[in-house]
This record gives sequence, C-alpha cells and structure tokens, in this order.
Amino acid sequence: MERWIERWNAYWFPETTTLYLSITRIVMVATQLFWFFPKLERHFNLLEKNSEFINPQLLISGIAAIGSRETLFTPSTFTILYWITAVAGVAALVGLVTRISLFVFSLGIWIFVAHAYSYGDRHHPEAVFAIVLLALSLAPAGESLSLDALLRRRALPLIDRVKASVKVDTAMWPLKLAHVLLALTYFSTGMSKLILGGPAWLNGYTLQNYTLGDAVSRDIPLGIWVGQQHRLAIGLSFFTILIETFFFVSLLLPWTAPFIFVGALLFQIGLLVTAGHGFYQHMVLLVLLLFFIRPQWWQAWRNKYVEHSRPSLTASLIRSE
Amino acid sequence: MRSSKTWVSIFILLVITLHAVPVLNPLLKKRTWPFLDWTMYSKSRPPGPIQAEKRRIIGVTSTGRKEPVTPFLVGLSPFVLRASYEQPMWRGDSSAARQLFMRLNLQREDPFVELRLESETYTVTDTGLTKQKNAVATYQAGPLPSR
Repeated sequence: MERWIERWNAYWFPETTTLYLSITRIVMVATQLFWFFPKLERHFNLLEKNSEFINPQLLISGIAAIGSRETLFTPSTFTILYWITAVAGVAALVGLVTRISLFVFSLGIWIFVAHAYSYGDRHHPEAVFAIVLLALSLAPAGESLSLDALLRRRALPLIDRVKASVKVDTAMWPLKLAHVLLALTYFSTGMSKLILGGPAWLNGYTLQNYTLGDAVSRDIPLGIWVGQQHRLAIGLSFFTILIETFFFVSLLLPWTAPFIFVGALLFQIGLLVTAGHGFYQHMVLLVLLLFFIRPQWWQAWRNKYVEHSRPSLTASLIRSE
Repeated sequence: MRSSKTWVSIFILLVITLHAVPVLNPLLKKRTWPFLDWTMYSKSRPPGPIQAEKRRIIGVTSTGRKEPVTPFLVGLSPFVLRASYEQPMWRGDSSAARQLFMRLNLQREDPFVELRLESETYTVTDTGLTKQKNAVATYQAGPLPSR
C-alpha cells in the first residue's frame, strides 16, 4: 500500500516552482474572461422563453432546490451573478485573494454553463476546462505572478525575499489532472467510435458524411471540399482514431507527450476549420500542457539557441568597446 | 502539507470517478455536466452516396413579413430546435408545428401565421457537388396544417 501511495505522490506531487501554475492561471482565466465568458443576452433569452428547464443539470437542480426557479432564475439574479463572476475573474487574473477569487470565478462559470445546458442540450468543449479552473483554486496558483505574491514579498525583510520563491509539491497536479482528463475523454470518444461504429468508421464514407453535413449547414467551404475527398477522408479517419484512442500514451511514455499534444492540437484545429467544432478550451489546455507538462523539450531548445547566443552577444559588445 | 495533499488526492479521485456516472447511469446522462459521456459522432456509415441536407424554417407573419426562425428566436439551442420541432415537422407532425407556433407567438405583436420548411440536398458526384432544391413544406397557424 505504501508503495502505491509513494507512486501516487511521485506522479501528482513532484517538486516544482509555482511559475508554470501561475502562468496557467493567467492564461486560463484570461481566455475564460475575454474569450469564453458567458453572454448575458443568451441566458436572458433562455429564461424569458422557457417557463421550465428541459433537462436541468444537477448543479442547477441543486440551486433550484434551495429557492425556486421563479426567485433564483431571473434576469436580475443572473445580472448580479454575471458581475460577481466578472469581478472575481479580474481578481483571479491579477492574483488578488487568488484562491477565493478563483473559486468564486469558477463556480460562477459552472453555474452559467450548467444553466445554458439545462434546456435539453449539452456539449463537451467547456467541461474539462471548467474542472481544471476549479482545480486551480485548490492549488497555489497565486504564489507567483500575482498581487498576492507581490504584497507578501513586500511584507518580508529584504533577506527573506529570495526564499519566497521556493519549490512546492502542489503546483503540478492541476496540469496533470488536465492531462489525465483529456486522455480519459479522448480515449472514451475514440473507443465509442470503435465499439459503436466498428471498423466501418474508418471507411472514409463515415467521415465524409459527417464533415459534409456539418460544413453544409455551417457554410464552411474547406469542410465542403474535404467532404468530397474520399482518400483524404480515409486518412483523416485513421488520424482521428489514432489521436483519440492513443492520446493516453502520452501519460505512459512522457517523451511522446509533446508530439501527441501537437497532434491533438492539429486534430482540434482540423475539426474547427472543416466542421466548425470549436473546442477552443481544449486547444488552450493542449498548448499549456505542451509547454508545461514536460518542459524539457523547449528548455533544451532555449538552452541550445538562446543561452548560446548570449555569450557571443556579450563578447561582441566587449569587442565593440 | 500532508493533509492538503490528501484532500487534493480525494478531489482528483472524485473528479475521475464521477466521469463514470453518465456512462453507468443513462438516466442521469444528460444532467451531469461537467462529467459527461464522451460519445460523439460514433455511428459509422456504409459505403454509398455522400449527401447532406441544409434545412431552415422561414416564418411568415400576419403582415406578410418573412423572418427566419432561428434558435435564438425560439429560445432553444439549434439541436433542440431541430430535434423537437424541425425534424418532426419534416415528417408531417402537425402537433410539433402547433407547439412551435405557440412558442413563437407568445409575446409577438405581429404573430407568425405560416411556417415554411425549406431545404436543399447536396450530393457528392464524380463531377463535384450538386445541389437540389427540395419541395417546400408549409404549415399554417391553426388547428390543421396545409401540407
């Protein structure tokens, strides 16, 4: 048992600085605030044109159980929630009372998304991102690059300020959780195609039909063109199944992770430009994982090209003097 | 520090385990966001013609104005609008049309009196993509549809 706990801790809680986690906080909060932020008009429209929920999400049912739909699900309550979420988001972005602001921000986002999906429809893009956003509030995401860190450092005597940037073992688990959840969800999607669709999913006709259907209804010229290319569709079908089913390999063989993340990113971009499936949240997570889950590849590149160029720059400056 | 790692471990295990709920319990499947069943585009199609249909609903108001019936206008998502109204109406279900009229006209000063279902079929052929306009289906506001 102890060996298992050791392994668990070694995987989820390695010692690192909090820098990557803090950059993750800034990127995720900024994209959520300025790119994926809920639109009040959409929620007002849902509230106004539906007297009841169709398939209320459990979170929404829980909230409705506290009060009632008539009192809690009104335009004025949603306006208040909107502004609380926005203010918490700005505070989380700059790292002010980071844990609490991150928690309030992610809770607000959860409520808005769950509300939008309580009228008979739900989609996948926000799910993993929302979970990771909540996870950030349980991690030291405000230890670096934040007002909290700045104020804390200012309060310290000068000699102790160096110690303020020590390594911790709780700064990697949210990124690792994002990695595991993406692996889980991609695997689930890939396996469902293989189990429900069978080998025929790779026949090219399947992907052509799906792509043409989405591209025609959304007026996407590239998708309409792809929908007519049978051989390309066969190739893309294999690529889809490979990426989805074998994304988890990046967990087992960490050296493959950067290649698989780039592959998955290309897959998501492909889905967007051919069929209009906007998994933007997945793209943001994949970019963060690409740089932070196994940073050795770009650190090696940086050491090789950037660090080497510095002495020569210094030498040329000395020569010019 | 050790206790915080324990809590975090519980959180991680909980988040991963909760993903099993929509898979194991089909009744809860549609209500467990953000813990979802990730089955998407999983059905396969046999070899055959590649076809796609573009459909829309156009509403005609009492003053003769034509207006596209959009998901926003109905107050539902495109998927629910399609599944609950558009597809049944294409199959000739007049009760779906009646319900849609009721939804649309609830707060309108210029109510819809007619709904026109228009569509085109796109087919991939050896020479490229062909487009064929299909017959329009019409529903009048009232107890009986005129199809």
